[in-house]
Amino acid sequence: MINPVLGRELRERMRTGRAFVVLGVFLALLILTVYLVYQGRETTGLIQVDLASQTQLGRELFEWVLFVMLVLVLFFVPGLTAGAIAGERERQTLLPLQVTLLRPRSILIGKVLAGMSFLVLLIVAAVPVTIVAYLLGGIRIIDGLKGLGAVCLVAVLLTTMIASLSTFTRRVQTATLLAYGFTALLVLIGPLLYLTLGVADRSTGTDLRNPPAVLLAVNPVAVVADVTAGVNLSGEGNPLRWASQSLVEARANNDDSWFAWFPPDDIGARFRLLDRDPGGFPAWAVGTIGLFVLAVAMAWLAVRRLRTPAEVER
Amino acid sequence: MSAEPEHVALLEADTPDPPAEPQAAVRAEQLTKRYGTLAAVDHLDLVIPRGSIFGLIGPNGAGKSTTFAITASLLRPTSGRITVMGADPTVKPRTVRRRMGYMPDNLGVYDNLRVDEYLEFFAASYGIHRSEWSALVDGLLELVDLTVKRTAMVNSLSRGMKQRLSLARALVHDPELLVLDEPASGLDPRARVELRELLRSLNAMGKTIVISSHILAELEEMCTDVAIMEAGKLLAAGPPREILQQLGGARTVRVRFADGAAESFTVSDDEQQAALLRRLVVDDGRQVVEFVEESGGLEQLFMTLTEGIVQ
Repeated sequence: MINPVLGRELRERMRTGRAFVVLGVFLALLILTVYLVYQGRETTGLIQVDLASQTQLGRELFEWVLFVMLVLVLFFVPGLTAGAIAGERERQTLLPLQVTLLRPRSILIGKVLAGMSFLVLLIVAAVPVTIVAYLLGGIRIIDGLKGLGAVCLVAVLLTTMIASLSTFTRRVQTATLLAYGFTALLVLIGPLLYLTLGVADRSTGTDLRNPPAVLLAVNPVAVVADVTAGVNLSGEGNPLRWASQSLVEARANNDDSWFAWFPPDDIGARFRLLDRDPGGFPAWAVGTIGLFVLAVAMAWLAVRRLRTPAEVER
Repeated sequence: MSAEPEHVALLEADTPDPPAEPQAAVRAEQLTKRYGTLAAVDHLDLVIPRGSIFGLIGPNGAGKSTTFAITASLLRPTSGRITVMGADPTVKPRTVRRRMGYMPDNLGVYDNLRVDEYLEFFAASYGIHRSEWSALVDGLLELVDLTVKRTAMVNSLSRGMKQRLSLARALVHDPELLVLDEPASGLDPRARVELRELLRSLNAMGKTIVISSHILAELEEMCTDVAIMEAGKLLAAGPPREILQQLGGARTVRVRFADGAAESFTVSDDEQQAALLRRLVVDDGRQVVEFVEESGGLEQLFMTLTEGIVQ
């Protein structure tokens, strides 16, 4: 039997016009991205009949579309998922749900699956937009699938985190603020720490400028950047390429390891071995594992929070 | 309290001995719930007999909703023990949930669902197989008189209808016990009467009903037993009339005579009431056409017992 919460959420979500507005805005912004990138290249005279420049344009378009898609996912997930549990509390529908035979994890899973389903719908609906880039050349089908898969992966993990976070607030407004704050932190905290530690390293004058590279890898942008832009760093810049380049540099500064800062004991040695063989542990895998661990930890806390009988009224 | 007129009950022969205490639907022993230094429920000893319509009465902050939340397996007591239909909700919450339907004091409904979808959702949440949904929804809607609203959106229902829909939701898994927290709040008089009749029907079907309400007259008409709480403490419990008798509280009897005259008398118990009737009919030789204990017993009881303590 389908999870009852998932069934109800999908029915409610698709019944309101909001879902279609979100879908429309999502697609419109992606189409606008394609248009602007294309126009930009046209005005700089880069669009020529030769295959090389067309291929380069296809690649650029693809990366820009994925980047904008990622930004939209990072923007829409908090808005769409923040009220998952907080909304139930605010509407006073959580108590009747908690006295049914549904387990707390089923409630949370239903909410997460509902959020994920909608995001996957958004991403699948955007496939025709990415096909424009494919037609121009420069990317293979597998590149396209990997890129969209990475965005889906980020969407799934972020949805789990935001839905879990939603169990800790009573009001949708508070939950939404918290969700956007958390997402901003998730994206910015690693790079900010990396830069801060880099400055600190430089100020000592004795140490190399090598803050832990893993700080950059455990990041939604890094996961998508490593999958999509890692294969080709030539041509005009875009945020995914800059992120990918930063990852490569950070790793190089750390003796080609994400975990170089680990203490030289058995565990550290094992991690470093894993890291180097064969050809290094990819950034997207490091990022995915980090985000997955965070999502699971948050979901575990959320299930505890939803469990009844509770110590205090929530 | 029975709907039977007081004067008929008074003239009946000696009542037989009360039956042995029926098995309890809810039994609380020294039940306590504390929030810091505040005792929301304070060493509550309470027995709710199976098959009763039990009214839990008390001013705001008396601990009624907290007691209900503990009963409904939503809240863990700080100390003490409670069993609901024989199971401890802190140890076997799912057993309790199978046997109990709970309607909280706030009317939370999903506005973007149709009435039948709403009930089907809860049927699914109780693990009822899809093949049974249609008949179940039909039966529930008929019971709460919402059949004509089957395909209406929940947000188009009036408050009274939403209240009845919530009751149908609490009944979706056919529980033996219904715990209803302020189900009549915000309802107009007609909706209240309809709800009262509905609860009576459910009781006649063998369900134990535990209800809290601020509308004492309504509970008085409906409840077989009541408990009065204040500041988390139980002040009295039992059939309202028995409590009044135990307290020796004065009551007013209105008498109407054949000549059209009417008088009110104050008596303290059944004996005095009988003596009054004897004096009027036998000693004074007056023709009594009506001898009624004035309504307001529960209200009087409430006012006598509670002190208006605010925690």
